[in-house]
Amino acid sequence: MSGDVIGYILRRILHSIPLVIGVSIIGFGIMHLAPGGPLAVYTLNPTITVTDIERLRVALGLDQPIHLQYLSWAKAMLTGSWGVTFFGGRPVLEVILERVPATMTLMGSSLALAIVIGTLIGILGAVKRNSIFDYLATTGAMLALSFPTFWFGLMAIYVFAIQLGWLPSGGMYELGEEGNPWDLLRHLILPVMVLTLVLLATWSRYSRSSFLDVIQQDYIRTARSKGLGERQILFRHALRNAVIPLVALLGVQLPTLFSGALVAETIFSWPGMGRLFVDALNMKEYPILMGMIMFTAFFVIVGNLIADVAIAAIDPRVKLA
Amino acid sequence: MAIKFSPTRRSVLKGAAASSLIVPVTGIYSPALAQKRDRIILGTTQEPVQFNPLLYVNAGAENIPEACLFDALWDVNEKGEFIPNLAARIPTMENGDISADGKVWRINLKRDVKWSDGQPFTAKDVEFTYQTIVNPKVAVRSRSGFDLIKNFKVADPHTVEIELERPFVPFMWAWQNMHIVPHHLLSKEENINTSGFNAQPVGTGAYLLKTRTAGSHMVYEANPNYHRGAPKIRQFIHKFVPDQLVAYGQARTGEIDYIGVSGVPFDRWAEAAKLPDRHFFPLGQPWVQFVYFNCGKPQFKDPKVRKALYLALEMQKAIDDVFFGAYKRTLSYLHTTHWAYNHDLKDSGPNPQLAAKMLDEAGWKVGADGVREKDGVKMKFSMSTTAGFPARQATQAIFQQNWKAIGVEMEIKNMPASVVWGEYTTKSQFDTLLVSWEPTVGMDPDYTARAHSKMIPAKTGSGSNYTQYENAEVDRLLEEGVRQTNVDERKKTYARIQEILLEEVPFGPQGGVYQGQMTHKSLQGIKPNQYVVDAAWNVHEWSWG
Amino acid sequence: MVDISVSDAVPTRSYTQTIARRFLSHRLAVVGAVMVVFLCASALFAQLVSPHDPMRIDTSQRFLPPFVSWGHLLGTDDLGRDTLSRLLYGGQVSLAVGIVAMLTTMVTGTLVGLAAGYYGGIIDNLLMRLVDTLLCFPQVFLLLVIAAFVPPTILSISLIIGLTSWMEVSRIVRAQVSSLKEMDFIQASRGFGASNWRIMLVELLPNIMAPVLVAATLKVATAVLMESYISFLGYGVQPPMASWGNMLTNAQGYFDTVPFLAILPGVLITFTVMSFNFLGDGLRDAIDARLKIDP
Repeated sequence: MSGDVIGYILRRILHSIPLVIGVSIIGFGIMHLAPGGPLAVYTLNPTITVTDIERLRVALGLDQPIHLQYLSWAKAMLTGSWGVTFFGGRPVLEVILERVPATMTLMGSSLALAIVIGTLIGILGAVKRNSIFDYLATTGAMLALSFPTFWFGLMAIYVFAIQLGWLPSGGMYELGEEGNPWDLLRHLILPVMVLTLVLLATWSRYSRSSFLDVIQQDYIRTARSKGLGERQILFRHALRNAVIPLVALLGVQLPTLFSGALVAETIFSWPGMGRLFVDALNMKEYPILMGMIMFTAFFVIVGNLIADVAIAAIDPRVKLA
Repeated sequence: MAIKFSPTRRSVLKGAAASSLIVPVTGIYSPALAQKRDRIILGTTQEPVQFNPLLYVNAGAENIPEACLFDALWDVNEKGEFIPNLAARIPTMENGDISADGKVWRINLKRDVKWSDGQPFTAKDVEFTYQTIVNPKVAVRSRSGFDLIKNFKVADPHTVEIELERPFVPFMWAWQNMHIVPHHLLSKEENINTSGFNAQPVGTGAYLLKTRTAGSHMVYEANPNYHRGAPKIRQFIHKFVPDQLVAYGQARTGEIDYIGVSGVPFDRWAEAAKLPDRHFFPLGQPWVQFVYFNCGKPQFKDPKVRKALYLALEMQKAIDDVFFGAYKRTLSYLHTTHWAYNHDLKDSGPNPQLAAKMLDEAGWKVGADGVREKDGVKMKFSMSTTAGFPARQATQAIFQQNWKAIGVEMEIKNMPASVVWGEYTTKSQFDTLLVSWEPTVGMDPDYTARAHSKMIPAKTGSGSNYTQYENAEVDRLLEEGVRQTNVDERKKTYARIQEILLEEVPFGPQGGVYQGQMTHKSLQGIKPNQYVVDAAWNVHEWSWG
Repeated sequence: MVDISVSDAVPTRSYTQTIARRFLSHRLAVVGAVMVVFLCASALFAQLVSPHDPMRIDTSQRFLPPFVSWGHLLGTDDLGRDTLSRLLYGGQVSLAVGIVAMLTTMVTGTLVGLAAGYYGGIIDNLLMRLVDTLLCFPQVFLLLVIAAFVPPTILSISLIIGLTSWMEVSRIVRAQVSSLKEMDFIQASRGFGASNWRIMLVELLPNIMAPVLVAATLKVATAVLMESYISFLGYGVQPPMASWGNMLTNAQGYFDTVPFLAILPGVLITFTVMSFNFLGDGLRDAIDARLKIDP
């Protein structure tokens, strides 16, 4: 990697510092200024009186002025523990990290599958433009983008788990099967199917249009007029150039994977970060919610950076500024 | 729903799994699952996050680690009687452990109890538990009862002496609810709220926590030295299945042996009762579902109006339609099966004609728009509860229709839990609430915190009388009730309280909450106990038949 | 992001005709347009068309199956309410949320984009950093965090959806405005002493309407989908008022025994979102094939 690139990356990282601070202030502000809060969860317990609640407010540090709460949170964030959960008293980082592998497994498999199949459909669609296949793929992609994911998931459970009994309705492993790849595979099929469908739609649309752009360009026409084989043109020349916007898409899609996981994990009882987020939301676990927000913000920034650097690395025409 | 367990296939695959770990695995090393007869799998929809019995927030999933890992001084059994646990015997006036004036309690402790790390259990632990409960820095949910302790003394390593400010009969319940934590481990902690102990607890209980897989399950092993005898089932697995319907499906196929806490969905009770090899039983939960009226609002100031509004509601029909008859109609804040329930109470509803007549008499006349009004105030109000619970929403929809028929307009205004149960409730800002609550000191009939006029937080800053109900006679009776030691006298006192509450309706009871529990038929020793919220309260007695 | 040449964006008679011709030749777009009109009409006239009061509870008639039950064409739900009526009224809610959210998105996004593009400099910088910051939150996260703290009504939900999804629109508008503002006709009106507001709203705005219109159509689709997500997770429009999202949530408890209750609202959500996507897609192609705005 040249010095230019490293310098660029460093500059970008520097520029993203105010971004991260902004994200944390907005996130913290929304949660703390909105009505209600974690103490309400205690009210559901009948033995708890208002006096108890005031005492708990102090014990959890919620009586402090909001800017002091923010500062102490920021300090915890920077010193590594990411703060401590209200209801378990555990370091937030630890709580989040123990959920990461499950989410990564789910999202990684879905994304990989979507990239491979989506790119293939895109290429075919571009090459055989306006064919029946192209028409079906385009319409199918549109349909997939219009499904509410959770509904599609429920329907998949209804058909494959309840009616046919072929696949488990949720979870990551059967009890006692932890680490068994076949068991994992069985549990992955339905959630991956649901998630891939949506990703696939975006991927096939993008790769189709970027291939179309490329194969209509002059140098491809030149190559064709020189009598190069169609396959050779596609894979040697076109693919290389068409990949650029796709890499950018990958960078941008990384963070949205987490939102996808949120819904899929809720339906399929997947023990990942999405479920942690939903549970934390119900309990008003500010520290976990903030931790998750920072975690995803980090991915957005890194994703964008990867996209930009990758484009520059593949395409000599792009200069990093 | 999912494919059944097949132990043979599992053991074959075990070797394969170990050699081909190509995928990341959540959590930590998981011990081998015991054979079917050696383990029990209990499923709940929620996942416990706090294993320190003093620190968890609400009843539910967290009662299971509590019951498995820790012991209280005494338990309450399915008949509502106290039975000794860490205490050697139950203190009473007859055996002299409670002084004649009811103020001094001597508690004798068992001598042969050890913490799971081998340290002996002593009076110091009880003292430390008390000190932790009243320590303002520790996020203990409630001090109910403990705030009356004037003096706490360790008389000898196995005896403590507690002096109360005033006699308080429900004090028994305060200890039944509080499990004892180890002094030797926690006293060194700078901050108990964030102690590592909360995730890796050491207790005196029947089981030891072995592993926890986040988002999936927890594995416990039997404590061979348990002071009430080692449990008969070697391994206890607590599995989290977030979706109730899925959990029920797994209980049906045998993937879980016991479906607890929220249990079988109401509309499946009939089906569950008929399943072969499964034992289904409705389990009374201490909660009663109420309509809360805010007596501070102009519409609800008049007890007669509240009574009329209560009379108009089809309480039983709502139970039948929404809960498929699972809840049991009650007319007081206690279940009808509670020893102190007043069986002379009469259900005079639903009676919309009478309700309309009473409202007319109270001066609330139907206006031009079909809504009643009096002195410029419309009989129009909102009802709130936690958003997103279909059963509660359906109940509200029925009530809305009932009230509409007598010219009363109710708007459903549900909110996220953090909003509705925050200051909206505690500062009495609501119009009406739909809520399920249990009595305030264990299952004692005492209801001071909810009904005494000194307990209105919006006015006095303490208590939980959110309806802002005031009645001098109820105040007097509540004060008397906690001093009476004779059960028959107490019964009379609380019977009168229930009678007044039904007449003046600050909160209109609908039904006692029941949940459908289902176990494998050969699982023995489970004792449905309506006086506790945790299904696993007597887990050390469970066995496979 | 947007790649549209200025000459294309200035509406002229022949240009409008071209667009109309291109749009009409786009089969799916026309289908989408017809479906949108149909959906809007059925929502608008729900009161007239629906056979029953959608809130009317009659538990003696609960769980009636569709197509075979007298008086209840699409059956009834767990409280005996008429499914067809609830779907019609639910459509009102879902479309209202979709449209109000879209308007919020468009107004906010356009204003921010206009201001940033027109003034440039520090205002541009600040506004675009705000956009960058907000884009760091995945929308569902932001949406749920806010929804979990705000009492749910149609208006609040629409506003929440709208206010969490205007950022892309502001980027599109800004890009257009930055390239347009140096054009002669803008310079000319500035020369005539037109105020900044006048230039922005009267001169610039009409010239950037094309991409904004496309984005607006697609945003209705996203908003309808978002409403169903929020409802599914329990933070949506509250029953007994029906929305397709909360009908689905409600049906979840019975979806193995009475799957029809879950299938219908899901199909309608898909149908609606798809119609708007087709429409938006067609519009985009008609306006300029190379304009890239995502559904």
